Amino acid sequence: MKAYRTINHPHPHVDGLDKVTGKLQFMSDIRLPNMLWGKVLRSTAAHARIIKIDIDEALKVPGVKAVITAEDIDHPPLGPFIPDWQILARDKVIYKGQEVVAVAATTPRAAAEAIELIDVEYELLPPIFDTEAAMEKGAPLVYENRKDNIAFTFSVEQGDPEQGFLESEFVREEVFHTHGAFHAYLEPNGSLASYEINNDSCTIWAATQVPYKAQLLYAQGLRLSAERLRLIQVPMGGAFGGKFECNLHLVCAHLSRKARQPVRLVNTMAEEFETAPIRVPMSIRLKMGIKADGTIMAKDVTVIADNGARTNYGPAVTATACFRVDSLYRIPNVRALGHLVYTNNLPKGCMRGFGNPQMLFAVEGMLDMLAEDAGLTPQAIRLKNAYKNGEISIHGWEIGSCGLSECIKKAISASEWNAKKSKKIKTGSKVRGLGLGCCNHVSGYRPTFTDFDGSSARVLLSATGSITVYSGEVDMGQGYKTVLAQSVAEILGVPLGWVQVAAVDSLNMTLGIGSLASRGTVMGCNAACLAALEAREKLLTGLAELLNKEKAVLDIVDGKIIWGPEKEMSVPFHEMVQKLANTRAGGAIVGAGQYVPNTVNPDPVTKYGNPSPTYSFAAHVAEVEVDLETGQVEVVNYTAANDVGKAINPLLCQGQIEGGAVQGMGWALTEQLHIREGKLVNPNLLDYKIPSFADSFSITSLLVEEEDSNGPFGAKSLGEPAFNPVAAAICNAVYDAVGVRITSLPVKPEELLSAIKTKKENRLKSAPANEKE
Amino acid sequence: MTEISLIINNEQSHFQVPVNMRLIDLLREECQLFSVKVGCEEGECGACTVLLNGQAVNSCLMLACEADGGTIITLEGLCSEEGKLHPLQDAFIQKGAAQCGFCTPGMILAAKALLDENPAPTDSEINQGMAGNFCRCTGYTAIRRAIRAAARQEVNK
Repeated sequence: MKAYRTINHPHPHVDGLDKVTGKLQFMSDIRLPNMLWGKVLRSTAAHARIIKIDIDEALKVPGVKAVITAEDIDHPPLGPFIPDWQILARDKVIYKGQEVVAVAATTPRAAAEAIELIDVEYELLPPIFDTEAAMEKGAPLVYENRKDNIAFTFSVEQGDPEQGFLESEFVREEVFHTHGAFHAYLEPNGSLASYEINNDSCTIWAATQVPYKAQLLYAQGLRLSAERLRLIQVPMGGAFGGKFECNLHLVCAHLSRKARQPVRLVNTMAEEFETAPIRVPMSIRLKMGIKADGTIMAKDVTVIADNGARTNYGPAVTATACFRVDSLYRIPNVRALGHLVYTNNLPKGCMRGFGNPQMLFAVEGMLDMLAEDAGLTPQAIRLKNAYKNGEISIHGWEIGSCGLSECIKKAISASEWNAKKSKKIKTGSKVRGLGLGCCNHVSGYRPTFTDFDGSSARVLLSATGSITVYSGEVDMGQGYKTVLAQSVAEILGVPLGWVQVAAVDSLNMTLGIGSLASRGTVMGCNAACLAALEAREKLLTGLAELLNKEKAVLDIVDGKIIWGPEKEMSVPFHEMVQKLANTRAGGAIVGAGQYVPNTVNPDPVTKYGNPSPTYSFAAHVAEVEVDLETGQVEVVNYTAANDVGKAINPLLCQGQIEGGAVQGMGWALTEQLHIREGKLVNPNLLDYKIPSFADSFSITSLLVEEEDSNGPFGAKSLGEPAFNPVAAAICNAVYDAVGVRITSLPVKPEELLSAIKTKKENRLKSAPANEKE
Repeated sequence: MTEISLIINNEQSHFQVPVNMRLIDLLREECQLFSVKVGCEEGECGACTVLLNGQAVNSCLMLACEADGGTIITLEGLCSEEGKLHPLQDAFIQKGAAQCGFCTPGMILAAKALLDENPAPTDSEINQGMAGNFCRCTGYTAIRRAIRAAARQEVNK
């Protein structure tokens, strides 16, 4: 095995110092001279015609510099998937929280006061909140220019599902419901925009996961050519899928254009709850069949997903839910139909897992049910159907490396599954259970952006020998900058501390699709490695001439240029780069790298085709304690085995796994958006309960390194796979503890308690021999 | 307007402030101490935590004039006079306890208040003492490791 000097070591975050000293500037910390403070007036109606907007009084507030409505904005149809965005509501509003009017003023107080004085007259229209009702003929239309409320339909069929069910020994059908969820990053979204009307150009500072995609969309929204719009990416205070292209940034830019001054527009947390692209809730009807030995024969699924009133990434999320899991287990006959439905609910979009956790909740629960029917263990049925290295899935996904079986075995062993299963642990009113959940995930997903796939990077050795790497992908706390710097340091042969990572700025960045689909490490580091290799080659070629040596005898190790039979001759790196630059009029050495993965846009009809260069896998075991008196579920131990290909940074991998486990527990057990008539009634962190220190639990994280030749140093993705199987594992553990199958998330103590009681009563009545204890 | 005096990060300062000005706004907008983060603005997330007379407080819930006469430490004032990192800062880096970094300033200050009162907390004492500070990235495990590591260094002194 190759010994690495920098990668595969647990280096702390390269930007850790700025974070622990408070020097890292987030969006809301940036101030510009002459900067105005923006504020948005949002719709209080879920569905209504706008009769009149009166802004006269707002304009009279001292300090107010601009008030804009849809009348002030001209933009083409807009949106990352479906062009249904209105920057400010035009003619009608379609959800509570939609942007209607925006104000820019010299102080936050003046902006807030002006908002208070704006009068909007609505004529209420019948709203539609329920997805199934919205699909009915004659339902009120969210978009009157559409024939129905179906925003997007996905369908796929391979093999012969009917025949597969006929050949099955055990068949089950069940309906599962998953709920929406708020990302709950602690930094509300915002931006700063400076529009120059004299040459029609605009600079936007924004914390976005997708700077290049955002630049393209924002240019459209401002009717500028993209090169007139500069986008500067600002450090992100958490994102988890919530900080993609964002309408708020466009409102901010239009305010700046009208006011002719820079404008800062940052949401409050309550506004963030209403505007973040929350997780797409789904109703999942799932039918699966297996043979007596556990071989999966067929899967048929129908998904109805709530898009809310505006489309973000819902179409891709729905597609993901429909068929990604078919490349986790070998299933010869599959059919899926997914409808993404417009309602007057809050807009939905992507959140960590992108539809995969929703379907895994259903499929992993179903597998445990079928395993029980067949008298198999949860691990046996999964091992039976797990993909192996080099297989091609039914949808043409080329699974280069697959550590799924290894993950299952490790998680089972480390969680002491067999020992714990052999005796039922009960303490007072609390009973324990174990549950297994598995997942796969992509490392970048070709269909999310049709223009190109892959990533590019530059490595610049300046005349003084400083090393800077430029990439268009984004660090959002996961540690992308760190693994990028590690990759470059490894290739160049220099200490990690010498490598700086440039801020993402559209003026100097190589275009990056961004940090989504768990693509950062695989795409970005692959490109950076190529760039570093080119820089190294150029440097050694120059030095060979300067030192009058054969290039082949030169090497760079630990920041020294070395040669000689015993590698005993050495000269310092910086000094030599400087000398070389002096012979070239101070010219820097630039290495450029383009990584173009061998992926395809799957066929539009059959959906066949390989969309990602590598696939990652995981198996998690949750141990829960269910209180039989209260119905409360608590995770007491958690074991996560993730196939990461190669751990470029084991410390950061551990951070992703631990964070994913606790976030996943929140989705399964503690978090719930309470919505009444389209209005979110708990838009705050008091009533929307994300896990706190008190809810955290003991986590054992295990790294399985099933290297993939398409990954940088063999690495694969981890961000989303750390989250994907958590809710499934927890709910399977609840079943193991109390024999109640959770089919609707989140687990509600009162419902669980009543299900436990019903079960007990039924058992007393009938006492069947095969009931679970 | 009312006049208040505060010792902020070891410097005596006087301010004329509106009576309804929040402490967080004084620290950020008047003193440019941007380590004090604006998160939920209702005392739930702890991102705006500062030390007032050694106690961790949510600066979003407090009026500036309520702090009159007090001593405030923000993250900018945590390094030693020679600029050396506090053991907590060092431990947060080494243990990977700061992912996105947004909760980190408040988290480190809350941890300082905890360790000042209880130099060798157990895990459950850490969980209890830190329950007012949310982190969405780490799952808290790495933060607990960092606090334990920092505590050991201080205990060993």
